[in-house]
Amino acid sequence: MNWQALALTARLASLVSLILMLVGVPIALWVAYSQRRWKFFAESVVALPIVLPPTVLGFYVLVALGSDTSFGRWFQQVTGRPLAFTFTGLVIASVLFSLPFAVHPMVAGFRSVDSKLLAAARTLGAGKFKVYSQIVLPLSWPSLLTGLVLSFAHTVGEFGVVLMVGGNISGITRTLSIDIYDQVEALNYHSANVTALMLLIFSYLLLCLVYGLNQKLVLWGTR
Amino acid sequence: MSVKVQIQKKFGSAKRQHFDLDVRFSTPSGVTVLFGPSGCGKTTVLQCIAGLVAPDSGWIAIGEEFFYDSARNLDHPTQFRRVGYVFQDLALFPHMSVASNVGFGIRVNGMEKRRMVGNALERFRIGRLAHHRPAEISGGERQRVALARALVTHPRLLLLDEPFSALDDELKQGIIADLKEWLKDNVVPVLFVTHDREEARTLGERVLLLKDGRIAGEGAVEEAIQPWKVSA
Repeated sequence: MNWQALALTARLASLVSLILMLVGVPIALWVAYSQRRWKFFAESVVALPIVLPPTVLGFYVLVALGSDTSFGRWFQQVTGRPLAFTFTGLVIASVLFSLPFAVHPMVAGFRSVDSKLLAAARTLGAGKFKVYSQIVLPLSWPSLLTGLVLSFAHTVGEFGVVLMVGGNISGITRTLSIDIYDQVEALNYHSANVTALMLLIFSYLLLCLVYGLNQKLVLWGTR
Repeated sequence: MSVKVQIQKKFGSAKRQHFDLDVRFSTPSGVTVLFGPSGCGKTTVLQCIAGLVAPDSGWIAIGEEFFYDSARNLDHPTQFRRVGYVFQDLALFPHMSVASNVGFGIRVNGMEKRRMVGNALERFRIGRLAHHRPAEISGGERQRVALARALVTHPRLLLLDEPFSALDDELKQGIIADLKEWLKDNVVPVLFVTHDREEARTLGERVLLLKDGRIAGEGAVEEAIQPWKVSA
């Protein structure tokens, strides 16, 4: 078992999930409640990582983070180091790749909140921020938790994007899924099996948590 | 203070209505009953006044203040209209206590807010339920919470959308008596939607009869309700 890869994966997934909570909630609120006709363009962009091959997304993120783009140059000027093949670059790529896994459950949760409650809050003088923070978010916490868990699990299981953007640098970008690939390449099947089995059990338990939460959400809605 | 409404709204094919809304009325302070059969547009009128639904054209004013005027492109957002609204299914916030529900619309904080909530709870006889959630109390008690929540902010207009329809007569009479008591001390226009004649007679002072999206008649309750001798 590569404990260094495990620690790196846990750090990456935790950071990505946290960022996705901060970024995903406003995006999901906008998707759930915006009346704009062109909303589907933005929805499609958010959902793109679901259908896009990870290598395609990874390639474009790699190009975008490189020193040939103004963003890549700006970052290098400010921090003194490039983004590609670094942990920070990996975080940015993972946030983009896991965005729909955080946003979609949130949107479903926000849309399931009874619109009469939102109307009642507005008649009582509540603006958007109060409606969202005191009515929508507390009533859709199982969806928020589902988004958090799914984005964490998805980041843990990333392979293509990680390889494209982060490469395979021990202690910096070598995550568990890359480590399994390495072990198989080296014909070290036993070590690969230990890590793979651990990821399998971990993923199963997380999915149990997600489905359990969904059940709770349904029960909450019928109360 | 009077409520003046002149609005038009097309329902569109999704609503499967065979008529469009076109209502014009003016009512003084006191309880005006908006009476009519299901699907005649009563709730839509209330929603337009509250700002929850936008009319296609026309204007809405309370006293001299216009909330909506299509000619001037004026449309005050719901949260700035200070209109109390009691929904048919009450729409109490299920994750909040009774006290938090009642205090939701109060803008001041601290002791003053607690005092206002306490007074409202006592006034509607639900003080002992302050820490209960809506799911833990009875239908009649929920009704009282909804009324207290709408009235504690001292709205300029109260809209009641069939709030008593699910209650038995005894409960209904008790709640209506408490509401009347509150209205004695707080003179505001009330628009009360119902299709129950007894409710209309008990609470209402005048009646607007709505039919197929239009005001088909109006009159004082006693002369209008039974039989329907409304002046068309």
